[in-house]
Amino acid sequence: MEILHIENLSFRYPKCESYAVKDINLNICAGEFVVLCGQSGCGKTTLLKLIKRELAPVGEKSGEIKYNGTDIKELYDRASASEIGYVMQNPDSQTVTDKVWHELAFGLENLGLPQEAIRRRVGETASWFGIQGWFRKDTDKLSGGQKQILNLASVVAMEPQLLILDEPTGQLDPIAAADFISTLLRLNRELGITVILAEHRLEEVFPVADRVLVMDGGKIILNGRPENIERGLLSLNENHPMLSGMPGAVRIYNMLQRRLPDIFNPSELKPRGECLLTVRQGRDFLEEHFKGEGQGDVKPERQEEPYAIEMKNVWFRYERDLPDILTGMELRISRGELFFLLGGNGSGKTTVLNVISGLNKPYRGRILIDGKSIKDYRGNALYRRKLAYLPQNPQTVFLKDSVRADFVELFKALEISRADYEPKIEKISEKLGIEGLLDRHPYDLSGGEQQKCALAKILLTEPEILLLDEPTKGMDAHSKLALKAVLKELKTEKMTVAVVSHDVEFAAENADRCALFFDGSVISSDVPEIFFAENSFYTTAANRMARRLWKNAVTCEQVVEKCIEEAGKRRKTVGEDGNKTCEKI
Amino acid sequence: MEKMETKRAKKFNTVSFLVLCIAVPVIVIGGAWIFKDRQYAWITLCVAVLACVPFFLLFEKKEADGRVLVTVAVMCALSVAGRVLFAPVPGFKPVTAMVIITAMYFGSEAGFVTGAFSALVSNFYFGQGPWTPFQMFVWGLIGFVSGLCGSWLKKNRVFLTVFGIISGVVFSLVMDIWTVLWADGIFNVTRYAAAVISSVQFIIIYAVSNVVFLFFPGKQIGRMLERIKTKYMG
Amino acid sequence: MKAFSGYHPLTLLIYFLSVLMTAMFLWNPVIQLEALLGAGLFAAMLQNGKETAGDILFYIPLFIMAALANPLFSHNGVTILFFMNGNPVTAEAFIYGIALAVTLIAVLLWCKCYSIIMSSDKFIYLFGRAIPKLSLVLSMALRFVPLFKRRFHKVRKAQRAMGMYSSKSYTDRLKGTLLTFSAVTSWSLENAMETSASMKARGYGLAGRSNFSIFRFAPHDFLLLAFNVLLMLGTLMGAAFGELEFYYYPQISGSSLSVPGLLAYVCFGVLTLLPFIIELKEKILWKYFISKI
Repeated sequence: MEILHIENLSFRYPKCESYAVKDINLNICAGEFVVLCGQSGCGKTTLLKLIKRELAPVGEKSGEIKYNGTDIKELYDRASASEIGYVMQNPDSQTVTDKVWHELAFGLENLGLPQEAIRRRVGETASWFGIQGWFRKDTDKLSGGQKQILNLASVVAMEPQLLILDEPTGQLDPIAAADFISTLLRLNRELGITVILAEHRLEEVFPVADRVLVMDGGKIILNGRPENIERGLLSLNENHPMLSGMPGAVRIYNMLQRRLPDIFNPSELKPRGECLLTVRQGRDFLEEHFKGEGQGDVKPERQEEPYAIEMKNVWFRYERDLPDILTGMELRISRGELFFLLGGNGSGKTTVLNVISGLNKPYRGRILIDGKSIKDYRGNALYRRKLAYLPQNPQTVFLKDSVRADFVELFKALEISRADYEPKIEKISEKLGIEGLLDRHPYDLSGGEQQKCALAKILLTEPEILLLDEPTKGMDAHSKLALKAVLKELKTEKMTVAVVSHDVEFAAENADRCALFFDGSVISSDVPEIFFAENSFYTTAANRMARRLWKNAVTCEQVVEKCIEEAGKRRKTVGEDGNKTCEKI
Repeated sequence: MEKMETKRAKKFNTVSFLVLCIAVPVIVIGGAWIFKDRQYAWITLCVAVLACVPFFLLFEKKEADGRVLVTVAVMCALSVAGRVLFAPVPGFKPVTAMVIITAMYFGSEAGFVTGAFSALVSNFYFGQGPWTPFQMFVWGLIGFVSGLCGSWLKKNRVFLTVFGIISGVVFSLVMDIWTVLWADGIFNVTRYAAAVISSVQFIIIYAVSNVVFLFFPGKQIGRMLERIKTKYMG
Repeated sequence: MKAFSGYHPLTLLIYFLSVLMTAMFLWNPVIQLEALLGAGLFAAMLQNGKETAGDILFYIPLFIMAALANPLFSHNGVTILFFMNGNPVTAEAFIYGIALAVTLIAVLLWCKCYSIIMSSDKFIYLFGRAIPKLSLVLSMALRFVPLFKRRFHKVRKAQRAMGMYSSKSYTDRLKGTLLTFSAVTSWSLENAMETSASMKARGYGLAGRSNFSIFRFAPHDFLLLAFNVLLMLGTLMGAAFGELEFYYYPQISGSSLSVPGLLAYVCFGVLTLLPFIIELKEKILWKYFISKI
């Protein structure tokens, strides 16, 4: 049965030339799990909000949206509010009340349900979501993952038929995100709720989706089963930016298909099963077709350089009666190195950066910046052309009404005259591609744009050492590529960059060296190829697929390189021995 | 079913209204009779509490958009959280300025509620007491009045300065009146004078901080409120 | 969970109002001392030893100050002890000062207990039915305060790490703090629009909103409430008959002890001790349970 029917939907914001959403035709059946993907700014959010009448933006709209056969404009208020649920990205700003139980009841109160009915529904929902343990807590005391589960639960308490989620895991760490997705899947499979989920992180959702929609420029460019999406993208554009955001198995398969067409005959490359979406399927496929020789290449150790950052037996806690966050932390980062510190949420990674940047003072141990103790940097000396720190929320960097005003304020503090700073602003904006954003209000920018502008402001202090806290949080594949390019350029400028992150894939692709932070100190540290090879769980999807073949191949590109290498060798032997070994492949 | 609900709600309202009509005078007059030597303090307290009621009902009855509610809540929370930020300077508080700014852009009712609730919420952190109703009423009234002269306050900077100073001073002066009434049962001028003199430095800092807040972040916050009104509320 | 805070919010509110109003407005030395005793015992039950010690250290100087200050403001009374700056200092004024200090501290302590027991959700529940919009505003504001505090810290840290507004200059730092304040305001107002969208998405603004709470009026609430009303009646009767009248000026005098007066003292004494007794009973009960297990 069709639950949602969209016909010729177009929408334009007031005072805008172009359409935010154009010519959308879409049917969604009851009980489907639909994933909507596309780069930031492709019109995903606008489309989703148009489906939820209460949130529909103001503007010029044409076409029809029917829910269960009724135009959503004609739905009863109550039905519209309760039957179509909507969950947004930011866990903090969606929560309305101060107590968990009140938040769960909020929607039901709005519907005017009597006390007893609410009590029952709230209790039931809390039990189903496993909330009973923190039912009476303050909403503010919850972790990000708990907050988002609560936001989902308080929508589900209203018994929706259709659930719309706009990047709900964008602000969560991988473990909380996986939790959230699995809860969502249970809602779909056990309660039969129809789900439309907009997501960047496709690794977990691709295997479970019934259908994937890809949007670009306000249009749905692809609509089909997940296993057909990459083929579709390829047929549209060989270098479509969305391709780099596909799950690891899909990417490897798709790269192999492109790079080895003459060696494999396409029918042979086709995976055994129906599709290649999960790590297991990818691994089976690789092991079936390749034998794996050697361990894979390891980046040569960087030659010894003096340390830019050195932590010696550092101990830190926030208050006397609170537990230690850093317990004898030892860390050495060389000059010019791109270093990733990985670790779970709430493990204290951010505290490490706070301590390195002198914002928090350890009660024991020494920190050397460029060989000089941090205590010897008087006043602001540390932050002047030495060290800069970009926190997790880019909003925290802006205090003024426009990005440019903020830059100017910084130069005033640095005592640089107008004639000197104008070219600097120009140079950095060009480098990061933010020329068009300078006169905008910082809060009018999208998350990715804010991040770029914040990075620009930080770089204007011309640091030698750059600290980044979760720079890829909530980013789509395209923005990650852009950040990758920036990091590469900073490396050519010999800047030392220390990144704190839980984005394993991004670290594997970019780092010179990775380290795992756990229980207050660094427990392992190495070049990514070795670091991830030695980890069993905390590693990339590509590595999990290929580790039994090539232990040290950690990124999709590396795995594909190894495949090509082996195929090349094989071709040689095939050439020598005639057709004998052909079957073995 | 809906109709029945509203009917029931209406009935409930009428009954509670009647109960209030009888109960309130009985409590006030009865209290004044029983607490003979403290009747002035008692009546002032009752007046402060009761005076808030019509303003609250005004806000309640008005067809308020969810966005207005959230904005008022945000402004209250900011003025309370701001007290922590500026804690190193005693008396330097953003509350009054935030109340005035909210009232200037969102009207008298919102102003009153922002003022009254800033007091109430901040006392959840700093301790409730008999002072709570007075703080609520005085800050609420400042909000209400600044909502009434909102357009002048926006236009005239001198007026805004004077208003900021006066509301700061008035707030401090009013708060001491009740303390004295309660301590002596009558208005003891010497005690009042002593209370005012001992807190004169805070009154000055407070009045100055009002002006500073009104002009410095106030301008930006005002622009922000204006922006929100045009961007989201059409 | 403290035993007393387990009662229904309405019961608790009426209890605290009765005790506070009587302690605050019924100026009779016995009543005042009873109020102080009850508050002190209750506060000691609610807090640990360290906090109680801290309280005592805080209230004793306050007591002395309030008691000694009164003769400076008030020169009433007939028993002149000595002259200061040409003004008489009287024994009556001195004793009045002590009474004032006792009441002040009793009221402060009761307010403290109130703050511990009547958490914000109880307060919101009480007014949620009569003023639904305002109680929602209150709930939201209480949720935002800790969030905004964290935002202040985040912005301040970010700015400090850029070396902004952290010089020795006082005005520079004040400017930074003010800018931080307005930046957090903008950030929060912008986010607030998302909050209101989330409210609307969940049907806020539909007619006939109901009010949910997790509090239930149990039999023991009724019992406490009834007891409370009876004791209060006993106390107020005594006051209404004028049996509790007591004058400090010009000369210390009071009504002689009578049956209604004595009844009032007993009633109020029991009333102020109720929470202490309830807490103590709970403690003993649990001890007994544990020893049985």
